[in-house]
Amino acid sequence: MKYIFLALSSFLAIIAQMIAGENFFLFNFLDLSLLLAAYWAIYRSRMQALFVGSLTGILLDAALGWPLGYNGFGRTLAAFVIGQCWKRFNTADQPWVRFSIFAAASCINSASIYLLFWFMQRSSSGIFPGASLLQAVITAGVGVVMFAAMDGYRRIQTHKAH
Amino acid sequence: MSSELPSRVNGQRSAAVLIPLLVLQLALLSLQIKTPSGTLLFKSWTMAAQAPVLSLFARITGGVGDFWRGYFWLVGARAENEALREAVQRLSLLNGAYEQSRLENERLRRLLTLSDSIERRALGARVTARAPSFLANLVYIDRGKRHGVRVDAPVISGEGIVGRVLLVSADQAQVQLITNPGAAIGVMLENSRTPGVLAGTGDPLLELKYIGDTDPVAVGEVVLSSGLDGILPKGMTIGRVVEVEKGKGVFQAIRVKPLVDLIHLEEVAVLLDPPITETSSRIP
Repeated sequence: MKYIFLALSSFLAIIAQMIAGENFFLFNFLDLSLLLAAYWAIYRSRMQALFVGSLTGILLDAALGWPLGYNGFGRTLAAFVIGQCWKRFNTADQPWVRFSIFAAASCINSASIYLLFWFMQRSSSGIFPGASLLQAVITAGVGVVMFAAMDGYRRIQTHKAH
Repeated sequence: MSSELPSRVNGQRSAAVLIPLLVLQLALLSLQIKTPSGTLLFKSWTMAAQAPVLSLFARITGGVGDFWRGYFWLVGARAENEALREAVQRLSLLNGAYEQSRLENERLRRLLTLSDSIERRALGARVTARAPSFLANLVYIDRGKRHGVRVDAPVISGEGIVGRVLLVSADQAQVQLITNPGAAIGVMLENSRTPGVLAGTGDPLLELKYIGDTDPVAVGEVVLSSGLDGILPKGMTIGRVVEVEKGKGVFQAIRVKPLVDLIHLEEVAVLLDPPITETSSRIP
């Protein structure tokens, strides 16, 4: 059941990203699949987050018509970075730390894709670095807000339980 | 501290998962992307990854092969070499024996030919010993009284006269070689038919006596037995003139080299009495 949910959430994240990007230009720079992997890394299992990253990346590659593996590689790496950083740094009520972690993970994702493109196909888009930076900022900002809200929700739930 | 340990283990596990996942993504990419030459990256990478492994494997198998050929095969080669060496030695000995048999056969054939030309029964004999002193010029043969050998019986070889029997026992006889200082043979020169006496001197060369200073003698002329001594049959070759000195007196000083190699004598024939009319030779 857990794995079905994992696969389904990955699929939905890609669909949502595609629909949102089609209707709102800025959503093209929001990496929902990365935030999904971050969710698994922070709230569930860091190991499962790697699978989520891989799966969402491959699905995104398929949606973009790219060779499968570029985004899969990048998102797997990003999920690992988020999981490790969340474990090592104090992220509780530290929005800038969280922002930095998300931004760094997004940059690593983009950089790895960029390097893979260069390494395998000897070509990369000229606007790719700039777009990636913008994507990192937007994704990190949205991620900070989203996970702050989630923390608040969890806190309320915990308080209610007590 | 207690919470750090599970966390570290979890971190290691996720790292252990991360690497295969990344490799999987790369493999997936390499299956779709082609190199400029049109080869799939996966194939290109696989070949690149195989190359050092194959090279290492080839080196190892090559090394093992070299070791096998250089050592284990050499063990067999060594044994084979020893066997071949033994075979070569054995064959060399055999070949030597065959060669000796061939030479002996040749000598006996010559002896037989010579014996056939003489109207006396010839008894083949083998030289068994030589007198202890080289200067004695005596040899022993393996035929004696029992075989019909008598004192003064002529002894010949394929090339000519060897000497005469001096002493006889039942199975052995002592032969006085023509080079013995006591030996003297009635001879004649082949061309001029001038008679003389050929005497042993103890040296390898014989002395031809009583040839007049005016008688024609040429170096290289053959000396034959005259038969006048009553021992040797007439007309048998003995030697060849090698030195002639004239003007030193009534007689010439003539030196004769025996035709028979008396030093390497092996087989001889003893001429038996009485003379027979029919030719019958027995060579062992």
